[in-house]
Amino acid sequence: MSSVSMAVDFAGIQLKNPINTASGTFGFGWQFQNFFDVSRLGAITTKGCAAEPWPGNPKPRMTEVRGGMMNSVGLQNPGVRGMVAESGEFLADLASKGTAVICQVAGHSTAEYVVALELFEELCPWAAAFELNVSCPNIDQGGAAAGSTPEGAAEVMRACRPITKRPLLVKMAPVRLPEIARALEAEGADGLTVINSIPGMAIDVHTRRSKVSKPTGGLSGPLLHPIAVRMVWEVAQAVDIPICGVGGVTSGEDAAEFILAGASAVSVGMASFPEPDAAVRILGELEAWAESQGVRDINELIGAFEC
Amino acid sequence: MPTPSPARVHECTVVKNEPIAQDIFALRIGSPELARMLEPGQFVDIAVPGNAMSLLRIPLSFAEADAEAGTIDIWYAVVGDGTERLSRMEPGATTTVLGPGGHGWTIPEGCRRALLVAGGIGVPPILCLARELARRNIPYTVCIGAASADRLVGEAEFEAAGSPVISIATDDGSAGYHGFCTAAAEQVLEVEGGEFDYVATCGPEPMMAKVAAAAERAGVTCEASLERMMSCGFGACATCAVETKSGMKGACMCGPVFDAKEVVW
Ligand SMILES: Cc1cc2nc3c(=O)[nH]c(=O)nc-3n(C[C@H](O)[C@H](O)[C@H](O)COP(=O)(O)OP(=O)(O)OC[C@H]3O[C@@H](n4cnc5c(N)ncnc54)[C@H](O)[C@@H]3O)c2cc1C
Ligand SMILES: Cc1cc2nc3c(=O)[nH]c(=O)nc-3n(C[C@H](O)[C@H](O)[C@H](O)COP(=O)(O)O)c2cc1C
Ligand code: FES
Repeated sequence: MSSVSMAVDFAGIQLKNPINTASGTFGFGWQFQNFFDVSRLGAITTKGCAAEPWPGNPKPRMTEVRGGMMNSVGLQNPGVRGMVAESGEFLADLASKGTAVICQVAGHSTAEYVVALELFEELCPWAAAFELNVSCPNIDQGGAAAGSTPEGAAEVMRACRPITKRPLLVKMAPVRLPEIARALEAEGADGLTVINSIPGMAIDVHTRRSKVSKPTGGLSGPLLHPIAVRMVWEVAQAVDIPICGVGGVTSGEDAAEFILAGASAVSVGMASFPEPDAAVRILGELEAWAESQGVRDINELIGAFEC
Repeated sequence: MPTPSPARVHECTVVKNEPIAQDIFALRIGSPELARMLEPGQFVDIAVPGNAMSLLRIPLSFAEADAEAGTIDIWYAVVGDGTERLSRMEPGATTTVLGPGGHGWTIPEGCRRALLVAGGIGVPPILCLARELARRNIPYTVCIGAASADRLVGEAEFEAAGSPVISIATDDGSAGYHGFCTAAAEQVLEVEGGEFDYVATCGPEPMMAKVAAAAERAGVTCEASLERMMSCGFGACATCAVETKSGMKGACMCGPVFDAKEVVW
């Protein structure tokens, strides 16, 4: 047993350790239960779900790029009711074992976020928190993501805040972070998840076509880790609410960088694809690192970056 | 909760890895536990070391899983960085393989005769099925298509497995019939479709679409093994979706083998 206390408070959620999973890379948790005991994680974040099911984008939905991958899944999801019917029992059980279940909420307009969150609030008593994914194409914003401007992000937060007393998190797009973070804090966000995948392009030069079915896709993986660390640090300077760091974590040291930059929790994303139990390995490595720093409590290391 | 994938991460050792045709290699890996679990038509997801910038595993079908010897035979085409690195793995090299992946072929109850249509590197899962049909004493006819004679694989193995008829087609006419193997398959189904209870196909998607349409015209059950870009291989990412008449379905869990009538081609 390690001598370091790994428990953290993230946005009012008590986590037994800071390791979480990134939405869309961990299914609804049960997909991983045969590979490792998911209840060892501090939290899991489920795939973004909307009020009604979304079919997602045509194929191809993925291409590998140097240092990561680019996806164009288009938020295919079974809808809140479908998710609860399929995965509710597993998630309730996971929550009872002390792993926080964070449910991600998707929508194409402010009204859709509201309906989806109302459904989550009603049907998911076991959820520890809800995370608004403001990177979905938004009709109110002419197709741009609500999260691409402070006004758009704030509007979604303002409409959703009264619906639940549970912690409301926002998964932030990698744009205009400090100002959008401040706008969200002002509207009552309890925590911020930084960052969502970074838009990219990959062109097959022989066919001159995109390697996914849309011109652009979302980049994930180690290639974006240093950018994500910088963004977490910038947001940590800008707001007082806690941050979950996401982007290219494949080792305990990657997770430690987020902690030092100011994150209270860290999500493992695409690393779980080739190595389904990556998150628990990373947890062990993070713990060993904390121990090597001579602290008794991981909280002493949050934001402990020295420049 | 839906049933999670039975896949695990297994250790494996390269037993053999040699070229069998132009840019096509036969790989034998030793992985006793996985070899015992695999069903024809399923796939495995192999980690290929040697490039820290490449993280994902490579999904591959297999031509044979030998439960007794504990080995799995894979045939793969070198098409990019990952398969190129795979081709340089020497006997004795170790890595990990995730599997079993997905759901394989379902030979119809009471099947009297099957028609198998394989294009290019679609041969391995079809060969695996042929061997299973032979074990069950179900006769079958095979049509193979390849770009050219030097990329044609499987002829000898299908014969050894007991296939009475093989129709071969190449795009350039360097072996067999000059053209696509779909022509032969369509003809067989049109003329003697009534003798078949099952059509199975794997290859380029336009080829499989034609075979599926011919099978439907002849009123014969048809299954197709589809390829998608897969990130995880066990149902967690949704990058492998196949459009079906009942919505999007993941190729790594509901496939790679689908009822051809269900697929929106
Ligand atoms: C279920 C399944 C079974 C397969 N079985 C076989 C097999 O038995 N033998 C065989 O040679 N190949 C098989 N493939 C295809 C094989 O996975 C790809 O050729 C391989 O991943 C290419 O990797 P690469 O790094 O060499 O190529 P890359 O440089 O990544 O790409 C080269 C080309 O291969 C295509 N490709 C890349 N990844 C995939 C993928 N996951 N699925 C389909 N196409 C891809 C790309 O679109 C590109 O055109 C199978 C794929 C799936 C999904
Ligand atoms: C296949 C795939 C699907 C994703 N789906 C979602 C999603 O539904 N909602 C979301 O906020 N982020 C989604 N993401 C982004 C991740 O949650 C994460 O922010 C991003 O991948 C960066 O982390 P990583 O580099 O550790 O993967 C997805 C990423 C991938 C690879
Ligand atoms: S490959 Fe990830 S869900 Fe199918």
